[in-house]
Amino acid sequence: MFGSPTLRQLAPLLALVLGALALQQLLPQYFLYVGNLLMMYVILVIGLDLLIGWSGQFAFAHIAFFGIGIYATTILGTRYDLPFLIAMPVAAMLAGAVGFLIAFPATRLRAVYLALATFAFAECAQWVARTWDSVTKGADGLQIPPTSILGYAVGNDQHAFPVVAIILALVLAATLYLQRSRFARSMSAIRESEHVASASGIDVKRVKILSFTLSAIYAGVAGGVYTLFNSFVNPDILGVAQLVLVLTMLVVGGSGSIAGCVLGAVLIGILPEVLRAAPRSMLVWQEFFYGLILVLAIMFMPRGFFGAWQAWRDRARHAADKRDAQASQDTRLRAKASTEASS
Amino acid sequence: MSALLSIDGITVRFGGLVAVDNFSMDVEEGRIHALIGPNGAGKSTVFNCISRFTTPAAGDVRFAGESLLADPQYAIAKRGVARTFQNIELLQRLTVLENVLVGMSSRVPGYFPLLPGARRRRIEREAVDAADEVLALTGLTGYRDTLAGDLDFGHQKLLDVARALSAKPRLLLLDEPAAGLRNREIAQVDKLLGELTARGMTIVLVEHVMQLVMSVAQKITVLSFGRKIAEGAPAEVRANPEVIEAYLGKRAHA
Repeated sequence: MFGSPTLRQLAPLLALVLGALALQQLLPQYFLYVGNLLMMYVILVIGLDLLIGWSGQFAFAHIAFFGIGIYATTILGTRYDLPFLIAMPVAAMLAGAVGFLIAFPATRLRAVYLALATFAFAECAQWVARTWDSVTKGADGLQIPPTSILGYAVGNDQHAFPVVAIILALVLAATLYLQRSRFARSMSAIRESEHVASASGIDVKRVKILSFTLSAIYAGVAGGVYTLFNSFVNPDILGVAQLVLVLTMLVVGGSGSIAGCVLGAVLIGILPEVLRAAPRSMLVWQEFFYGLILVLAIMFMPRGFFGAWQAWRDRARHAADKRDAQASQDTRLRAKASTEASS
Repeated sequence: MSALLSIDGITVRFGGLVAVDNFSMDVEEGRIHALIGPNGAGKSTVFNCISRFTTPAAGDVRFAGESLLADPQYAIAKRGVARTFQNIELLQRLTVLENVLVGMSSRVPGYFPLLPGARRRRIEREAVDAADEVLALTGLTGYRDTLAGDLDFGHQKLLDVARALSAKPRLLLLDEPAAGLRNREIAQVDKLLGELTARGMTIVLVEHVMQLVMSVAQKITVLSFGRKIAEGAPAEVRANPEVIEAYLGKRAHA
């Protein structure tokens, strides 16, 4: 379980990047936009999963860190002329620093209190984005100018596509490494029982603070990615609707597994694009549908699609084992019966 | 021989209730020292003071000569003190092996995956080998990859002990390891405790199952309503009239 990720795990990441490079020329602009959006959501959802699925901390401030990532990357680029390759990591670190700071009060809270406090923090962040006119231009929002990476101009979805794919591949590789660390084991230990973790020598508070920080960094990176294929941001991005959307992705896909996060981000992220074909009068129902899907998923698939699939696979395997055992017993009985009959 | 663990006049109050009242107890190295008493006598509270889950209002707890009370809860394992829990606490959705590996947190290096891969793989291999040894000792080898939450009650009890053992503690605090077990399983715990003392481990045992206490303990301390009412070898304690009245009288003949 420890050590480096296997080649079999890293190969899909390479395929992702190569695939993106190839498809960049083939897919229409709109598909590339959806692709960028989905890849960004994967980063965002995995970051949330570190906190909720791995560490068991039901904190809902994630969207605030995503917003910090978007605004900070944009402002560092426009006001301070920093290139994307510096602005984005700095923005992610800034998001991580804020995550680190709110972790201190947050680790004193549990369950519903933690959920409420972090939710309130996200609301505050949206308020700041709306009110801090001199920096965020308030409700009007900010223009995000096209950027360039080492001379490669990233001006539209087509250009952004392989860049987003490379960032996603790096994030996934980092997550695979993280998954094989003792730190990840400590995270699942505090999720299961803080008493046992603490008695075993795990500094529960430290693990929580690091989880908050890491999770915020992931959200900051997702924010940086947003600036690559969007030309505009306003405080709406920090709204409850976004939070519900990301939570739905996590719950529907299956928290606690990378594959589940990818599945959830793709299934739920693609939904509004599918619904776009629906009549305009249906669009107002979109958020209602998210809510409905979230509730149904919690009721019928508490471990998400991925968890449900795993359970189904285990059951199928178990049934096959049983069938095999039954079959070999039948053969033995038949053999016995035939020897008895012949004697 | 000086005491490995020395509890010196601790008092714990919960609101107006005095749960433990000026309690002292010395545990000699290499012994099994049982702490018994009726329900609510304060045994688990004493345990919680040693493992830093509770801080006494007065008194001191010294381990190998140094006070434990200044340490945070998680540092106790590193000092060499491990505990189990009365109401089994396990990492339900982790496997038996993973539970034991978590138990080693105080002594396995490599927090983040920043060490070179070869070094990390070696550390993990050694950790897994050590975990397999603990599983063999506790008879859980066959359940290595089972989720802790899927084990039956008896094996869950054993896993709690295995998890604590994997920290290689000098002092093991066992909170009712035999409660609710069948006779055959109690015999297994009895045998395990014997093997542990043979390896030089010191054990404090809180237990209601008298058959186990009388069989393994070299010394017994009796608590009643937060105060120590008797202490001595099993035979002495068994014969003590105050103990019989407070505890054994009602339960041993039940």
